[in-house]
Amino acid sequence: MTLQKHRLLKTILKRIVLFMIAMLVLSVVVFFLARLAPGDPLQSFYGDSLEMMTQAEQHAARVRLGLNENILVQYERWIVNVFHGDFGISLKYKIPAMQVVSPLIGNTLLLGTLAYLLVFTLATLLAVVCALHEDDLLDRIICKIGTAAYYIPGFWLGIVLVLLFSINLGWLPSSGAYGIGKAADIGNRIRHLILPLIVMIASHLWYYAYMIRNKLLDEFRKDYVLLAKSKGLTRHEIVWKHCLRNVAPTIISIMAISVPHVTGGTVVVEAVFAYPGIGNLAVESAKYHDYNLLMLTVLITGILVFLSSFAAQTINEQIDPRMKETEAIKW
Amino acid sequence: MVEPLCVRDEQFRMVGADYRTHIPQVKRRTLRQELKGKPILSLLVFLVIILGCIFAGKLANHDPSGFYLQNLNEAPSAEFRFGTDSLGRDIYSMIWYGGRVSIAIGFLGAAIIAVIGTAYGCISGTANDKVDSVMMRFTEICGSIPSLLFVLILSAVFRTQDVLSISLVIGITGWFGLARIVRSEVRQIRNSEYVLYARCCNGGFFYVMAHHLVPNFISAVMFIIVSFISSCMTTESTLSFLGLGLPVTVISWGSMLSLANKALIMNTWWVIIFPGLFLVVTLMCITNIGSFFRKEVNRKHSNL
Repeated sequence: MTLQKHRLLKTILKRIVLFMIAMLVLSVVVFFLARLAPGDPLQSFYGDSLEMMTQAEQHAARVRLGLNENILVQYERWIVNVFHGDFGISLKYKIPAMQVVSPLIGNTLLLGTLAYLLVFTLATLLAVVCALHEDDLLDRIICKIGTAAYYIPGFWLGIVLVLLFSINLGWLPSSGAYGIGKAADIGNRIRHLILPLIVMIASHLWYYAYMIRNKLLDEFRKDYVLLAKSKGLTRHEIVWKHCLRNVAPTIISIMAISVPHVTGGTVVVEAVFAYPGIGNLAVESAKYHDYNLLMLTVLITGILVFLSSFAAQTINEQIDPRMKETEAIKW
Repeated sequence: MVEPLCVRDEQFRMVGADYRTHIPQVKRRTLRQELKGKPILSLLVFLVIILGCIFAGKLANHDPSGFYLQNLNEAPSAEFRFGTDSLGRDIYSMIWYGGRVSIAIGFLGAAIIAVIGTAYGCISGTANDKVDSVMMRFTEICGSIPSLLFVLILSAVFRTQDVLSISLVIGITGWFGLARIVRSEVRQIRNSEYVLYARCCNGGFFYVMAHHLVPNFISAVMFIIVSFISSCMTTESTLSFLGLGLPVTVISWGSMLSLANKALIMNTWWVIIFPGLFLVVTLMCITNIGSFFRKEVNRKHSNL
C-alpha cells in the first residue's frame, strides 16, 4: 500500500516537473522569438501617431514600456511579473493582456470542448459502422468520402459553408459567438456554433475514425472474438461489449495526443468565423505584433493542451494498468 | 562394369496429362489488370495540373498580376474564364501561375521536413539512452504545442514573406512527428550486423546513415513524407488566408483565397470556389499517389 502510494506520488511529481519544464521551454521560445521579431512594438502601440514623435519621445516611450533593456533582463522581468499574475499590457488594446484574454477563454473552451467530444463520439460510431461492414461497399464509400473531407482545408470549407448557408440561403449566422445584445440567449449561441462545429468535425473526424477503425479490425482478428461468437453472441454484442472495451484505452490515448491538433483547428475556425476566442486573438496579435498578447494566448493554449494530455494519460492508467509499465519515462 | 543408366522413354507408360507438353499457360495480364490498384486517375489529374502550371505562360490569357479596373468582381465569362476578383485580376490566369508557388512550397516544405526529421531521428535513434530520451522529450514538448501557433509566432518573426521563408517556417515546425517515427525505425535496425560492420570499418555517422539506415526505413516513411507535401500546401494556404503568409501580390492559391472575406461581402462565389477547388483536387491527388507507397498489411480473415 505504501509502496503504491509512493509510486503514485512519484509519477505525479514527475508529471509536475515535466509540466514545468515544458512551460519554461514554451515561454523561452515564445518570448525570444517575439522580441527578436523585426516588427516594431511601438508601431502597434501608438499606431500612426508614432510618425509624429521625435527621437527623444520615442526613446522615452521605449523606456516606459520597458523595451530598451537587454533581452535577458526583459525576460527575467517578464517571468517575475508572470508569477505575480501580470502579463504586461496589450500593445494594441492598451489594457492588461489578461483583461483582453479572460472574457474569451470561455468561448474557446466551449467551442473546443464541444468539438472535441463530438469528434470522438462520432469517430467511434463511424469506426464501428465501418468495421462492421469491413470492405463492403458502405465501408469503401465512407472511407473515400472521409479521406476527401479530411483533405479539404478547414478554412476553405468554412468559407464555402458561410457562402452557402449564411449568405445565399440565410439560414445561419456567418460570424461571432452571439447576436448583438443576445449574449444570454442560448438558442442564438447554438445557431452561431453550428457552422464552426461542422467545420471542426469535418476536418478532424476521419483522421481519428480511420485510426479507431483499423484498431477495431485488428481486434476482430483476436481469439476471444471467436469464443464470443461460438457462445452465440451477436455481432453487435461482440463489438459493443467486448471489442470496443478493449479498444477504449487506445481511443483515450489517441484523444490525449489529439488535443493540440484539435486546438490548432479552433484557431483556424475562430479566424474564419470571427468567433471571439483565444485562437482568433492569437492570429490578430500575430498580425499586429502585439507580443504580450501573443505570448499570453500561446501560454494559455499551451497550459490547456498540457493539462488535458496529462489528464488523459492519468485516466488511461486507471483504465489499463499495463500502460504504467510501458509508458514509463526513463531518464 | 556398370551399364550407363539410360532411361528410355519407351520403357515408361504415360499416365494422365503429359508433363512434357503440359506447360502451365502464363496468361499475359491485360492492361486493365496491370493498372488496377494504381492511382492512375490521380496521377493523370496531377500531371495535368503540373503541366498547366509549368506552361502557365501559354495557358493564361491575361496578365496574372494585371489589374483590370473596369472588370472588378466580374462573373465567369468568355473573356475572364473564371471571373475576376475584387482587385480586378483574372482568376483563370492566376490559378496557373499561383499553382507554381503553391506546389513549390508543398515540395520545398516537405523536403525540409524530410531532411530535418530523418537527420534528427537517426541521431536520436543511434545515440545512447540519455541523449535519446532528452531528444525525444524535446520533440514531445514541441509537438504538443499546436503547430499553427508555432507557425504564427514564426511568421510574426519574418516580416516580409516569400516562398522560401514560408517554406522554412512550415518546415521548421512540422518535423517532430516524422523524427519520432524515424527514430523508432532506426532503433529496430541499429543493432543489425551490417550497421555494426559498417561502424567497425570506421564508417562515419553520415556514411552509415546514408548507406545503411535511410535505405532501410525509407519505404516505411515514404508515405508519410509524401503526405507532408499536401499538409505543407494546406498550411501555406491557411496562413495566407489568415493574412500571415504570402502577401496578396505574390500569387498562390492561398493568397488568392485571402480575398475570400471581401468576396463573401460581394457574394462573388467564383473568387472562393475556383482556387479552393484546384487546391483540394491537387491535395487529393497527392494523397492518393502517396497512399500507393504505403505497404498494405495482409490481414487475416476476420473472426467476426
